[in-house]
Amino acid sequence: MSAVRHISEAVRSGRTTARRATLHAEELLRRADAKGLNAALDWSPEYLGSEAGRIERAARSTRQALPLAGVPVAVKDNIATLDLPTTCASRILDGYISPFEATAVTRLRAAGAFVACKANMDEFAMGSSTEWSAFGRVQHPDFPDRVPGGSSGGSAALVAAGVTPVALGSETGGSVRQPASFCGVVGVKPTYGRVSRYGLVAFGSSLDCISVFGEKVDDAARVLSVISGHDPHDATSAELPPLSLATPRTDLKGLTIGLPEEFFPADLHPGVKAALDHAIEQAKALGATVRRVSLPHAKYSVPTYYIVNPAEAAANLARFDGVRYGKRDGGSQVDLPGLYRATRGTGFGPEVRRRILVGTYVLSAGYADQYYHKAMKMRTLITRDFTDAFSAGIDLLLTPTTPTPAFKAGDKTEDPVAMYLADIFVAGASLAGLPALSLPVGRSEGLPIGMQLIAPAFAEAKMLAAAAAFEAAIDGRREVR
Amino acid sequence: MSIGRDDVLHVARLAELKVAEHEVAPLVKQLNGIVDFVAQLAAADVPVDTPEFTVGPVRASLRADVVAPEPLARSAERMAPDWQDGFYVVPRLGHQEIES
Repeated sequence: MSAVRHISEAVRSGRTTARRATLHAEELLRRADAKGLNAALDWSPEYLGSEAGRIERAARSTRQALPLAGVPVAVKDNIATLDLPTTCASRILDGYISPFEATAVTRLRAAGAFVACKANMDEFAMGSSTEWSAFGRVQHPDFPDRVPGGSSGGSAALVAAGVTPVALGSETGGSVRQPASFCGVVGVKPTYGRVSRYGLVAFGSSLDCISVFGEKVDDAARVLSVISGHDPHDATSAELPPLSLATPRTDLKGLTIGLPEEFFPADLHPGVKAALDHAIEQAKALGATVRRVSLPHAKYSVPTYYIVNPAEAAANLARFDGVRYGKRDGGSQVDLPGLYRATRGTGFGPEVRRRILVGTYVLSAGYADQYYHKAMKMRTLITRDFTDAFSAGIDLLLTPTTPTPAFKAGDKTEDPVAMYLADIFVAGASLAGLPALSLPVGRSEGLPIGMQLIAPAFAEAKMLAAAAAFEAAIDGRREVR
Repeated sequence: MSIGRDDVLHVARLAELKVAEHEVAPLVKQLNGIVDFVAQLAAADVPVDTPEFTVGPVRASLRADVVAPEPLARSAERMAPDWQDGFYVVPRLGHQEIES
């Protein structure tokens, strides 16, 4: 039984209480902090205690069973919460308390869950290793000298370390699937628009999706179902009811799974290749038809992403100017532009500054056609490749999530492009707005390896049901070589 | 190298980002690395009539045009560091001249 189901059933039946759940979360957070994981930013025993009281009152006052009663959730620090700061792991928002709450958090709390802590992340979600947090890097839970992936590395590490069974992260270009793969947990990115972005600090507005980590597929699926559904506060939220989950599959009969050749290069890490080969064999054994396919524009995903993403980031982060939010530098001795420049120059860290500069460059007069507009056309072609594959009878695409297992801290911080290439297999689904997930399918020298499934838009239920069959058939902790 | 020192300073000015002198040379190197990498898109064959990508529903959903209470969990007064006579009291912004 999944942890979320176990906890919520135990609380609903009275075998345990919400107060015991919050006390247990407190104990686990203390242990994680003592271990130096650095995955949790803000949390407090007082707040956890008040949440226990709130859940117990809610349980008494409603006739409906709370689907996530007593479930602790770590929430990435770019998702607005009322009682804990929302800093985006940036000095520029140090101590910032949001005046409103993200819709996803409101829905979790209404379902009986509680925010155990805010989770560390790459500053403003820009990074693939959680080394760019202004509050220190997050350790990989099993290999302290390695990274947990990013940018939602704190959320991934907390789930992998058993501190919370589920966590919210955010995806702009793989920031949940990639750390899920590195940490050996499940990471699910929904279709763009499936989950409201209200209260998610905007980074790449055409890409951003609140996404979910879980110990198991069922954990993530239950949380995704609760947070999904139309929200009038987000004009890009799809006018659909909450995700209705399908019965988990025990086989894959009747499904056609596509293997895009561009995602299985000759130089793929041998451990990743061995784990994926095993997963493909399992797909066949479970009754799926497996077909090779081609996504010819996939090779342009990362360069396209690293034009669109900085362009949107440069525009979105213009609002952090020292006047409207948080930190202010320059004092009263400078003029207004001087105040903006001083605040932003010292408030943002190195990767955020780089992205703002690149984004401003690719949008500037003389370069917008060459870079930004060409990238937006390429994004159409990348998306068409996916829709063509699905129209040709492919139900799900199966790929590695990452080209290698978790790398060592410091390996890629000096080379931004090397860091960007960690996203090579995850950027495409983000550009196309498609649902995708990462599932642990083995370990290489102890390091977790993830398999990615990509589904047609709004086909999360089919994707999650199939993932459950893979999960039951494959021991994600098995050493592959 | 497609980006020079002047480009970095120009873009930093456009982005309202202070860049210290010792940061300029590393930024020139890093930005060239990034822009050279993304420039591989220039070699890609993209038919001229390809539309630019749009995300989400074709027509954005709109709320009814009615005035509703601000969805704030706390009152404006409670959030204000300083509050006087129904107004936020804010720190002075820069050194604008005050006409008397």
